[in-house]
Amino acid sequence: MNDRIRHFFELLYLLVQKDLKVRYKSSVLGYLWALANPFAFALVYFVAFKIIMRVQMHNYSVFLLTGMFPWVWLTNSLSQATGSYRNNASLVKKVNLDRAVLPLGNVAHEMVHFCFALPVLAIFIYFTGGEMYGAWLWQIPLMILLQLAMVYPVALVLALSNVYIHDVEYLVGIGLSMLFFLTPVVYPVTMVPTAYRHYFEWSPLAALIENWRSVLLHGSVNMPMFMHCVTVAIIVAVLAVVTYRKTASKLGELL
Amino acid sequence: MSAIVQCSDVWKRYGKPARGIKELLVGRRKVVESRYAREWALQDVSFEIERGSAFGIVGHNGTGKSTLLSLLLGTILPDKGDISVNGRVASLLELGAGFHPDLTGRENIFLYGSILGMSLAEIRAALNSIIDFSELEGAVDNPIRTYSNGMIARLGFSTIIHAPVDILLIDEVLAVGDSRFKEKCRRYLHEFKARQGTLVIVSHEMETLADMCDSGMCMNMGQVVVKGEIHKVLAQYQELMKFSNARKKGEVV
Repeated sequence: MNDRIRHFFELLYLLVQKDLKVRYKSSVLGYLWALANPFAFALVYFVAFKIIMRVQMHNYSVFLLTGMFPWVWLTNSLSQATGSYRNNASLVKKVNLDRAVLPLGNVAHEMVHFCFALPVLAIFIYFTGGEMYGAWLWQIPLMILLQLAMVYPVALVLALSNVYIHDVEYLVGIGLSMLFFLTPVVYPVTMVPTAYRHYFEWSPLAALIENWRSVLLHGSVNMPMFMHCVTVAIIVAVLAVVTYRKTASKLGELL
Repeated sequence: MSAIVQCSDVWKRYGKPARGIKELLVGRRKVVESRYAREWALQDVSFEIERGSAFGIVGHNGTGKSTLLSLLLGTILPDKGDISVNGRVASLLELGAGFHPDLTGRENIFLYGSILGMSLAEIRAALNSIIDFSELEGAVDNPIRTYSNGMIARLGFSTIIHAPVDILLIDEVLAVGDSRFKEKCRRYLHEFKARQGTLVIVSHEMETLADMCDSGMCMNMGQVVVKGEIHKVLAQYQELMKFSNARKKGEVV
């Protein structure tokens, strides 16, 4: 059993290393691409909302970036992981490996990217008049674990269901772009009309992003929101274990 | 007791899952009538393989041989019956499943080794020996997209034989690399057997099977036609081929 767990993490390590190497080797800018995506998105929304629509908000650029980085990790890992069985059909069919590792590889790869980008984000916060908190040393790892615990089970369920119904891949793409606007990434919850506020109180993604902001901008973890996220993480984990138990052994013949 | 692989009354049927929302909504697909569309891919298959022996499986294409290997490997599960495999299995079904073209040979050895179930320590210990066996010393630090198919197959074969494995499943891939390397592989597989390794070989090459195997079985339409000593099995298979060729001619006329 111990051997199996160690092997699981060794394989995960090699898979993530593979993705990182491939990503960095084959491009000229390499590491900078980890930053390009969230910065480019933030720039677009900054132009749209701050310059064109003139949102009245102090330090909107930092506000945008602190939401954008965790969001990019979330969307990239979910959309990649959804195809992780279908795109690795030969691994699933020809090698008897622990199948749970494949979607986790995608999520972990994007997590490493997110971690690489964090120092740049911190410097950006500092130079735009923000503060760097010592408490980040435990708060940020905690938030990373929280997001991992929320995202991985969902990624696993999506990857498994995509084997049964191919359309899941497309639905995930559409769903994620809708969720982007239903989550306070580019706007603060305070701007939402009170009539719709209850949705944002319920939404675990809103709680996650808000909590990231609370940590990055104010150096404090919002406990009620944190517990809300933990509850959701436990629910999706149970769902994922049940789905995995039911379907994982059938993947070999479905692909 | 010395049987390392034991299959008793194994049945396997492939479900026909809906392949998308459209099919879920529109409903059933057309039923195709052909010998590939029979209900059971494997019917009542039983056999056992002794430790340290080589077992050959022959039969037409689409007769269930590869399904059987997948069952032994454990990537699919039987619908009925029991399969017991008492050892670590690796397959030469697809050499280099999991290789990435942009990684170097060396990096791919690590990735592939781990996919095959080796620990990092085992891979590090075997690394030089793997590279030696593959005879790719000069190329091992180049990305494998620059390799020829033969070189990729060599790397895959060299890695897999260094994995601590008790049973090797071989599906039509004894044709690895040039004739010299093929000979090297053949010698290696004999050695593997001599060390009490077990081989399960699917092939259409009668000579290979006669050379490597001790026992075997012939399959047709998912059923075992004959099993036992390899020469008897091969003779029976040739009879079957003749018979089905004759029948096909009959159909044409």
